[in-house]
Amino acid sequence: MSTAIPALGGLNRTVLRVHRTALVFWVLAVTAAAAALIWMYVIGDEARGGIAACVSPPRDGGPSCAEIGSITADERYTDGIRVVTELIAYLMFPIAAWAGGVLVGRELESGTARLAWTQSVTPARWLATRLAVPAVLITAGISVLVALILLARGDGDPGLVGHWYQSEAFVSTGPTAVGHALAGLSLGALCGLLLGRALPAAGLSFAACLVLYNGLDRVREHLWPTATHTATDARTFQLPREALAVEWTYQGDRIVGATYHPPSHFRPIQYVETGILLALAAAATLAAFAVLRRRTP
Amino acid sequence: MTETAMEAAALGKTFGRRRRKDALDGCAFRLPAGSVCALVGPNGAGKSTLLSLAAGLQKPTDGTLTVLGHAPAAVRERLAYVAQDKPLHPQLTVDDTLRYGRELNPGRWDDRVAERIVDEGDLDRDARVRTLSGGQRTRVALALALGKRPELLLLDEPMADLDPLARHQLMATLMADAAEHGTTVVMSSHVVAELDGACDHLLLLGAGRVRLAGPLDDLLAAHRLVTGRADTSLDPHTVIESRTTGRQLTALVRPEGPLGDGWQSTAPTLEELVLAHLRAPQAPALSLDDRREAAV
Amino acid sequence: MTTAVSIEKTTAVPSPRGPRGLVWTLLRVHRSALWFWGMAVVIGVGALLWAYGPGADAAWAEFRQMGCDSGRPGLGCDLAGPAGGRYDTVVTVAAGFLGLLPFLTAAWAGGALIGRELEDGTAQLAWTQSVTPARWLAAKLAVPAALLASGTLLLTLLHRTVYSADGSLRTALGSPEWFRTNTFEANGTLATAYALLGLAVGVLAGLLHRRALPALGTAVVGLAVVASVIDSLRPHLWPVETLVDKHEYPEYTGMVLGDGALTSTGARVPDPICVDDAKCLAEHDIVGFYRDYHPSSHFWPLQLMETAVVLAVAAVAVLIAFGLLKRRTGAAV
Repeated sequence: MSTAIPALGGLNRTVLRVHRTALVFWVLAVTAAAAALIWMYVIGDEARGGIAACVSPPRDGGPSCAEIGSITADERYTDGIRVVTELIAYLMFPIAAWAGGVLVGRELESGTARLAWTQSVTPARWLATRLAVPAVLITAGISVLVALILLARGDGDPGLVGHWYQSEAFVSTGPTAVGHALAGLSLGALCGLLLGRALPAAGLSFAACLVLYNGLDRVREHLWPTATHTATDARTFQLPREALAVEWTYQGDRIVGATYHPPSHFRPIQYVETGILLALAAAATLAAFAVLRRRTP
Repeated sequence: MTETAMEAAALGKTFGRRRRKDALDGCAFRLPAGSVCALVGPNGAGKSTLLSLAAGLQKPTDGTLTVLGHAPAAVRERLAYVAQDKPLHPQLTVDDTLRYGRELNPGRWDDRVAERIVDEGDLDRDARVRTLSGGQRTRVALALALGKRPELLLLDEPMADLDPLARHQLMATLMADAAEHGTTVVMSSHVVAELDGACDHLLLLGAGRVRLAGPLDDLLAAHRLVTGRADTSLDPHTVIESRTTGRQLTALVRPEGPLGDGWQSTAPTLEELVLAHLRAPQAPALSLDDRREAAV
Repeated sequence: MTTAVSIEKTTAVPSPRGPRGLVWTLLRVHRSALWFWGMAVVIGVGALLWAYGPGADAAWAEFRQMGCDSGRPGLGCDLAGPAGGRYDTVVTVAAGFLGLLPFLTAAWAGGALIGRELEDGTAQLAWTQSVTPARWLAAKLAVPAALLASGTLLLTLLHRTVYSADGSLRTALGSPEWFRTNTFEANGTLATAYALLGLAVGVLAGLLHRRALPALGTAVVGLAVVASVIDSLRPHLWPVETLVDKHEYPEYTGMVLGDGALTSTGARVPDPICVDDAKCLAEHDIVGFYRDYHPSSHFWPLQLMETAVVLAVAAVAVLIAFGLLKRRTGAAV
């Protein structure tokens, strides 16, 4: 046995050793996604060049902007960005199922958690390491991917990479990506501790994330005060480019105004949503510790 | 001449494709029907592998194993098997577990036998298996095995989770049941004392090979525990294990004829016989199965 | 035979009603999954019936009240009101659930149905209770398959009813066209076929790993890979129709697979984007434009072809699973 490993270091190492499959999987997934994004970055300019001209609504034989992707744009770029976008956006689901099932549930079920607790590791420290090590790795991996996807998206042309307010695109292009993943991790751990069994915990964690993800998707537009736009001439009323309309104002059956989110609201909404997710992650973590304390001496 | 309950010829089982590990290697033995056989050996000797092959759960890599005259998979209804960790569905109640046995063994199942074993343990029939202690689980697993009225009962470390009292009681139930119905029992254990007095047959495995096989009385009779002066030769007898204390030598031998005058000899106990063979892995194997003489 | 055990005609009292034998044990052991599925089907049926009746009526009334049915284009009609939103949500969630179902099935089949039982030895328990491994596996496939298929078919029938009844409302709300993945699958036999594929892939993953959680992960990832491959084949499973026009792109219609320009030799070339510039068109030798598409009448041919592909893949997975089990246990039949 090697000498004088600092206690926490030893515990960290144990977590990494026991969950080596997950670690290898995570490193491979992040590497693959990063490689794909770098490739997208390289072909991005070409793809943007390809969609220069389009007509909306379609007329005069010109390609319509709505279908431009199938005509001229480089489909590899659009598809590549879409796949990685969805991958990042949905990461919280496998993370939560893994945390509930493998990280906590299975260890409680099979008694290996108790084995650790008899190896001079207090239950609280056991849980702390179990959460801290994956949290660090998840944060690091997702931060890299978010930075790369922002780079690969270039100017974020909605014809190629989707609108900024679309659920997957929104979640995968800012700090809220990390927030989602960490909330998934802590919710999974809480479910694992509450149920103490691997498969039910994995199922419940997944369900909890499904509710959280879709709930946030619904309330997202209310997370920041909207801007208002009033028509000077009702006939030509039009919202600014890439605006997310929230509510319309009518005069008779004619629209005279709207509240909406301009693209500049992307950042504040990101921050508020990340704040909510981190608060939720913290609450779930505290609850997990409370459950653990009640269960163990 | 009795029927054969279990017979192995050149039986081998290998695990792993790249790093091959022989769990069983060239095993041959014959077990007459109605016998109660102790399957003994150190950890990793292949006891569990042999039992699971006999239960038709795995396929041998080499050789053959016949059970009740057929391939194990063909006689599932007639044999019962209790695995080492007593697998049961944790979400079922005790009653549901008994019904599970009844539903899966139509025409064979005997509720009275199963219920007697459960009730002797004072079990709450509506308790979920998840909430039972290790000993209680063992009881339910045995009830499930005996309820189907097997002709061959394969038990892998059956008593490990039981307290001495329950062990004694359950062993008595098991033996009485086996005697009453002529059931053949193969029971593995590394606690030799647990088997003494209950078994009439011995199968000792070491490193996947048969070390001793045959009727217990014959095997004991074939060995002598001798004491004498250390400078006396034990030729031509086969020495299994010997120990010298000062000028005195104690040895377990297989006599090849009358022992010399200088030796005091006694019959070994089962435990002495087994321990000596376990401590001396290089000692020659001995098989006293009536049909297959020293086939190893 | 001296050892023949006298089998007394046993006291087993046959339970008066309900399933027996292996089917009973399967339903009892997986009771929570059965409950979940039963609840899901009941809720789904209720939600779709609501959408068909009161939900659609309320949305339509609101739509009229907003003056959106006047035929005059108004931006406000792009966004649904509260009643329209509710209607849209219910229909979308129902179709989304049917889209998620194959993955839930795969996870459950890999994890709870097969993987966990091989891991904790309860599968082996069944195999020593007069049940051959092959029969055990057959029951594990047949019973869930029957329940899945009947529930999913019921839901897809209702979804179809809602979808075909509320055509105009859907157009008004901007709901998905017939060829969008979730809608396409929920309107035909594909939802059922994919659910069965999920079951087969899950069972195979469970047998491969023999452990619950790795099997769960492999089942979900494996199904995602297989489904996305089949999904990318979808438009090519039936011959496309092509529209050609001399002056501009043919009218937008249905599931478009590709379009571009035609030269005088009939060759298809990328559109040089001349936009009515005759000189430019002449320079590129463009004499017309084409568009490849599937009209909505291709719904059933596409649907049935893909169903056949999905079921064939599921059958292959099932065959491999049986082969694997046989090789492991050496079980005759």
